[in-house]
Amino acid sequence: MILAGGRVDDLGVLTLARPKSAMPFGGLYRIIDFSLSNLMHSDIERVGILSQYKPHSLLEHVGNGESWDMLGRNRFAAFLPPFKGINQSDWYQGTADAVFQNLDFLRTHRPEHVLILSGDHVYQMDYREVIRFHNDNKADLTIVFAKVPREGAHRFGLAEIECERKEGGRVIQYLEKPETPAFDWASLTIYVFTPYVLLEALEANATKDSHEFGRDIIPWLLEHNYNVYGYKHDGYWGYTRTPREYWQTSMDFLGSTPRVDFNDWQICTNLSHGNIRDRRPALVGHSALIEDSLLYSGCRIAGTVKNSILFPGVRVDEGAHVEDSILFFNAVIKRNSRIIRTITDENVTVGVNTQVGEQDSEDLSIIGMNTRIPRDTTIAAGANVHPDLGPAQFSKHSYGQGETVQ
Amino acid sequence: MTGTAVILLAGGVGSRLNILVAHRAKPAVPFGGIYRIIDFTLSNIANSGLTGVAVLTQYRPLSLMDHIGNGSSWDLSGRFRSVKILPPKTGEEEWDWYKGTADAVRQNLQYIMTRDCQHVLIVSGDHVYHMNYSSMLSFHQERSARVTIGVIRVPWEETHQFGTAIVDENSRITDWEEKSPKARSNLASMGIYVFDRDYLVDLLETTKDVDFGHHIIPKALEEHNVFAYPFSGYWRDVGTLQAYWEANMDLLKADSGFDPELWKVKTNLNAGGLSFERPPIRIAQNGRVSNSVVSPGCKIFGEVENSVLSPGVVIEKGALVSDSIVMHDSILQEGASVKRCIVDKQVTIGRGSSIGMEANTQPNRQFPEHLSTGLTVLGKETRIPDFAIIGANCIVYSKVGPEDFHTLSLESGDNIQKREEP
Repeated sequence: MILAGGRVDDLGVLTLARPKSAMPFGGLYRIIDFSLSNLMHSDIERVGILSQYKPHSLLEHVGNGESWDMLGRNRFAAFLPPFKGINQSDWYQGTADAVFQNLDFLRTHRPEHVLILSGDHVYQMDYREVIRFHNDNKADLTIVFAKVPREGAHRFGLAEIECERKEGGRVIQYLEKPETPAFDWASLTIYVFTPYVLLEALEANATKDSHEFGRDIIPWLLEHNYNVYGYKHDGYWGYTRTPREYWQTSMDFLGSTPRVDFNDWQICTNLSHGNIRDRRPALVGHSALIEDSLLYSGCRIAGTVKNSILFPGVRVDEGAHVEDSILFFNAVIKRNSRIIRTITDENVTVGVNTQVGEQDSEDLSIIGMNTRIPRDTTIAAGANVHPDLGPAQFSKHSYGQGETVQ
Repeated sequence: MTGTAVILLAGGVGSRLNILVAHRAKPAVPFGGIYRIIDFTLSNIANSGLTGVAVLTQYRPLSLMDHIGNGSSWDLSGRFRSVKILPPKTGEEEWDWYKGTADAVRQNLQYIMTRDCQHVLIVSGDHVYHMNYSSMLSFHQERSARVTIGVIRVPWEETHQFGTAIVDENSRITDWEEKSPKARSNLASMGIYVFDRDYLVDLLETTKDVDFGHHIIPKALEEHNVFAYPFSGYWRDVGTLQAYWEANMDLLKADSGFDPELWKVKTNLNAGGLSFERPPIRIAQNGRVSNSVVSPGCKIFGEVENSVLSPGVVIEKGALVSDSIVMHDSILQEGASVKRCIVDKQVTIGRGSSIGMEANTQPNRQFPEHLSTGLTVLGKETRIPDFAIIGANCIVYSKVGPEDFHTLSLESGDNIQKREEP
């Protein structure tokens, strides 16, 4: 079961119209592609997707699941939206409640294990290894962890894992987002449950006020002496929770020796979503200069592109300069514009002689979907430009550091 | 457009494309990075709102069948939409190989008879163009024609390669010349025919003629009801290596009139290949790309200019490719240079080797009529040894490896084949 409903306020204008799992990533993919491809390569092909926030983009992307080979007699990617029950309320009241409301899904398919994932991380994992570990240890719940520096660890669920074996071990203590982190292992919110244990835990939790796996279910299982194990993931793990994290994770795919190569991960996506399938190969013009960048079909590049990721259909005109930036589908960057340390959402147009972002600032600029920035405009670093703005809505020629345009 | 059955003749050998058609039919030859030649015709069919097509195959049909699949790439699959692949085995005794275009259609008359249609559109999968067939079908109906032939004006010096139509002021064809050395008209047949179904069935059942251009059209002309539908726009018969190369290079020219995305050309990206998507193109720190078409999955560490790269091509550090077509998953290793080459799929070009770099006018000694314009062709899965030097107008056959090279240099105009197993 993939928990794909979250919006995450921190991503601001990028998740106004879509859940985080449907965010474009890496020049081609959507973030949920990583979970779905991992499932496919792990031969796990009975998948429920729990979704509630503006699911349109996610629905269109997952389609009937055939892109991940999840279409067949016993293979499916089924959407499990919130529904009106007899006693229950409509909306999912947390991750555990979302699963609890869909216990019928589990009762119907009678699985040997229930794998619960969040669809918003960038990583490669063979879940069969986690399940094997779970069986070897006769665990009731296995949680996947990665080692993180103590600094900044307060944002995660943290665990102390018994005997530092390479693969993992019993979870001794678990604290959800502690103010002062005391352990090194952060939960990747990947859970393997033995089904009856999941059922017991969810039923016990149903009468409580809070319904989260991290905050409520894991502590309850530990308290009641269930076998909770931690599996240690030592491969790449990319967070995308804030614009900075999203940007950094993206940049991990660039450089002279990228930390990750998509070829090795064999990621599948839905090429019909965003019409990727019908685009011509990228056209690189006489005057183009492209360095250390990723691009895709449908791109037409006549300007300079450095250290950037361009999604299908991006146009960079002659004399334009794009650096350290991520341009989603169909961005048009017109002549003599400079786009620095900026993320533009789908269908953004930047007029002639316009500057967005700055090299010397740490702050990223973010431009919302479908916005058209007029010519001769300067937008300083850290700007938040809302979606669907036309040139008329830009009343000034210059916007200062961190300003919001709406 | 349910009243029209479509027959796509995809059996052509296309022998002048030489080793590009050694393992595949001409319509299945890769083109323009991600396409195959047949994609243009299949996309025209789908984009014209036509819903049923029979593809007649014959010569090396495997890669073609794999590519067409169930037709869903062109949205030709569904309750009322289909692509049917009809191989030549409809005869009652053994296998009846098609003796010509009309014979191929005759052997599949049942397909036409069983469909609910008044018209039959016959097209071939050999050309690169963008055409709305529904305009031609309307033209046919407005004139109450029995037969309508798509024609295009070609340069006078090329008329001898085509069937040419002499027309009156109403576009009625009054005379027809098939590959005449002294053609009276430069309106050349595009090999696109609209027939009234019953008329076509009658013609094919009452004669034994095997070719449309040579036999059927002259016969139909006797009834004075054959019209020429004039087409103007980009149209290329990519039947020679030079024409094939030039049409690929047209993709680089903004003013060539050739834009597959604008034309809504669709292809099957998954045929016979990967179980995952080609990742984004990676252009590395010191990679240089100019005036080129680059497909997903390419990795560029060296230099690319004036070239068309298919998916998965790797250009290593210090390597240079210019004025070339490089197909799927071929690799130029460090320091290799390649100019004016057509490189088939999965070719490895060894370190420091140099191919087609010197301008030489010696035509190919074995196939002077195929190769005399300075192009060199490397066959599928060939491995060129490190530091080899290969001239212009050369052919390196498929699957040739370093063990097949006697010396590291191949003179312009020479070929190299896989040595026979002893």
